Amino acid sequence: MRYDSITEAIGNTPLVRIDPAVHGLRHIDLYAKLEMLNPFGSVKDRPAWNMAGPHLAAAAERDETVVELSSGNTAKALALLAGMHGLKFKSVTNRMRIPEIKELLLLLGAEIEELPGQSECLDPTDTDDPLTRFHQALAEPGGTYLHTDQYFNPRNTQAHAAGTGPEIIKDLDGRAPDWFIACVGTAGSSTGVARVLREHDPDVTVVGLVADKSDFIPGIRTIDEVHQVGLFDPATYDTIESVTADEAIEGMMTLIRRCGLLSGPTGGAAFQGAVRHLRTVDAESTERRTAVFIVCDRAESYVGYVRRRRPELLGRPPRKNSAATLTEAETRAEATVIDTDAARRWITGGSPAPLVIDLRGPHAYAALHIDGSLNIADELFDELLRGGLPFSKRQPVLLACPVGEKSARYAALLTRMGHPDARSLSGGIVAWRDAGAPLVRD
Amino acid sequence: MRVPLYLQPRLEPPLSSLLDAPNLLHTLVDALGSPLNVLLPDRIAENAERFRAVYRRHRLTGRISFAHKANRSSALLRRLAVTDPGAVGVDVASLDELQHALGCGFTPDRITATGPKNPDFLWLAARTGVTVHPDSVTELEQLAGLVNKFALPRVAVLPRLSGFETATGTGVSGVRMLSRRSRFGVPVGEAGALLDALERHRNAVDPVGVAYHLDTTGLAEKALALEQCVGIMDELRGRGLDPRIVDMGGGFGVGYVEDAGQWERYTTELANAVLGTRPALTWRGHGYGLRNEGGTLRGALGLYPAHRPKAGPGYLDELLSTPAPTSGRPPATLLLEHLYDLSVQPGRALVDQCGAVLARVLEARLTGSGDHLVRLGMNAGDMSLEEHGVLVDPVLIPRSGGEQEADNGPVAVHLFGNLCLEADLITRRTVFLPRMPRAGDLLVFANTAGYAMDFHAHSAQRQPVARTVAVTPDGDSWRWCLDDEYWPITQSEGPAS
Repeated sequence: MRYDSITEAIGNTPLVRIDPAVHGLRHIDLYAKLEMLNPFGSVKDRPAWNMAGPHLAAAAERDETVVELSSGNTAKALALLAGMHGLKFKSVTNRMRIPEIKELLLLLGAEIEELPGQSECLDPTDTDDPLTRFHQALAEPGGTYLHTDQYFNPRNTQAHAAGTGPEIIKDLDGRAPDWFIACVGTAGSSTGVARVLREHDPDVTVVGLVADKSDFIPGIRTIDEVHQVGLFDPATYDTIESVTADEAIEGMMTLIRRCGLLSGPTGGAAFQGAVRHLRTVDAESTERRTAVFIVCDRAESYVGYVRRRRPELLGRPPRKNSAATLTEAETRAEATVIDTDAARRWITGGSPAPLVIDLRGPHAYAALHIDGSLNIADELFDELLRGGLPFSKRQPVLLACPVGEKSARYAALLTRMGHPDARSLSGGIVAWRDAGAPLVRD
Repeated sequence: MRVPLYLQPRLEPPLSSLLDAPNLLHTLVDALGSPLNVLLPDRIAENAERFRAVYRRHRLTGRISFAHKANRSSALLRRLAVTDPGAVGVDVASLDELQHALGCGFTPDRITATGPKNPDFLWLAARTGVTVHPDSVTELEQLAGLVNKFALPRVAVLPRLSGFETATGTGVSGVRMLSRRSRFGVPVGEAGALLDALERHRNAVDPVGVAYHLDTTGLAEKALALEQCVGIMDELRGRGLDPRIVDMGGGFGVGYVEDAGQWERYTTELANAVLGTRPALTWRGHGYGLRNEGGTLRGALGLYPAHRPKAGPGYLDELLSTPAPTSGRPPATLLLEHLYDLSVQPGRALVDQCGAVLARVLEARLTGSGDHLVRLGMNAGDMSLEEHGVLVDPVLIPRSGGEQEADNGPVAVHLFGNLCLEADLITRRTVFLPRMPRAGDLLVFANTAGYAMDFHAHSAQRQPVARTVAVTPDGDSWRWCLDDEYWPITQSEGPAS
């Protein structure tokens, strides 16, 4: 395969059969449409290119900024497309809750604007929601924006009607599947694909999956949120069912560990929702039938999402030399602590005098600290100790933190690591200040 | 009939036990009229203690302050006055509130004067030595002028900052976080002028710290603001001043509805009603900010998130643990490391479960169009949950008192007030009750001590304004007195001698 531009690699994604031993359906062949293999990593590459493509050259001439309300994959694709044409890209959202995606977007050169959170004391005179203000700002005269408007732009749906849908039919040897199952985000892929499949075979059953209202699944809207999408038409779906974050992660793990598909949680939700829905009809079926679901994007960006919800999936053995492994009782038993008076005498009269290590953040240290102390913030100190003692055993150490808690833990840890004279400043810098001992800023 | 869309209130002791005493509630309304406000002063002290527990967990010091404007009661203030003076204070936002707080036993060191201030208010604040939150450089200069003119002692000030935003670029987080705009406070972008003024007036005012008050439920915005406040505190230090306190207000929240499922079902059905796919859920199809544009839902739901898994002390705990965007260190760590105290004003969260509004049912009728209308001995000004976008069901206390009357099935009603105004609806929402109320029954609007109780009550229409009573548990029974007669020294046998 040889291309002149990466955009030519968008689309024509594989349709991969899921092993029946994994999904357990006896009469239904289940296929995954691997949209995660698009060049920018998701199903959104298609609409992003279809919506922005025709306007990019003109936008470049007018030096416009591409702007979209996106919390993830559309932004990713648009940022790359904008960059290829020398344009800036700005994403406006209050839904970007995946830090890895945020950082990836920044890496791609995107600007991100986060809308303010909900008001606590409602102002009855405030009739404008942040999105209305956003649209007003775009419409202001002199504005230089190319707004792709994915939630209302018919070219979003069209990308799938022209690409994703026909590809599925082609790969199923000219037949439409009996079921098509898709998560609803912008409703673009589900609407576009459903339209093509129905034109081909009116009997296809379309299942739309939304996120359970109390849950957050990246890329999927809840039943309330889909109503705010211009492309969403309830008539597209034969049924709308909800999936939970737990199910999404469960499905994602099955696809990853048993099918070799490096899917993200949206794909996991589609798989799990598909199997759940199909299981009820599988028993009644006698002939062989076919179902297709979409794997929207890849797993890598969602490791933090999984870590917060299912930390055991990332289970690692406890780290060596970590203060976090010391219990409070162990800390109390093993840490040597000294109060401000004793510490002052030790610093001025000790032979040798102790090395004073301030474990606070660099900003706090810069504001006020014990004269002559060295600043190693707790996170860094933790890293240092993993490799062993970062100073000689002959060098006495006085550790200080805000209230003497963290420092006691590190004093105990240093003692365990064989340091003969590591002490913690009891009550910390707060007690030091309250005792009237000098603090300097330099 | 579909499943009734109940929004049952979250009830905790002692409020829950009080609602189990129907005879007392009926007797009180019989004697003192409808509407009637009932307050439980002991609970406010308990709430303060819950916030203190969060402070202790994070090793933080500083005061929890009650925002007086949330409730005008004397009983609540007097009860708070006997809590730990170093830990609990009061925020006053008017001359009268300041006089009230002083009269209820708060010493000036426990009082902060906030909000827009007229000269009388500023003078009494300066004269008595309370801490002042200047809202602008102009107000700061006005205060300094009063101090100089009347040769008053130096006044402690906590200037209020606003307009926190992260800029894009290197060295910052790269993400521009937009903050809700506020009319109050000095924008951080103009903090230079504020610091200059503080330095210039240093013999009249003592900047003991800075304040911010953000009207948002967003944790990240508040963590960002705190981080920027810490930066400004360091600038103050750099100018040779000695600030100690970061004062944080706004949005700790109250969970009004107990069951998340009820709240989710209700809001989903409300959206469906606006889209026209189910019958209306409100009087004349009001959409609470949502509108139907060609089958797509537009606008924003203007409702208080009535079910909140984390509210009050839990929210503070979460906020203190949320990594700030620039340094990555949580607010609690930043405060501790910089040796700063934290002041908070948990607004309505401090009066969570502290009271209820009682209203007599005057009439219940079925209109020709099939609407059940319930007219109450109160009006919309007497109880303003609706004004604050809080949707929660009232509790029905039948006249028959102790006798159990079988619920005759869920009924959807509209609650109207005692004014001859079409707009006088107690709530625009269709309220589902377990049975049809009758004349003489009581409806109890629970958990209304924060802003809702009598925030908008007035006597312009010459309808009775609610009287307020303070209720305290007394063994298996209850003691009550008029709000003004409550003193925390009162005991079962009568006032302590």
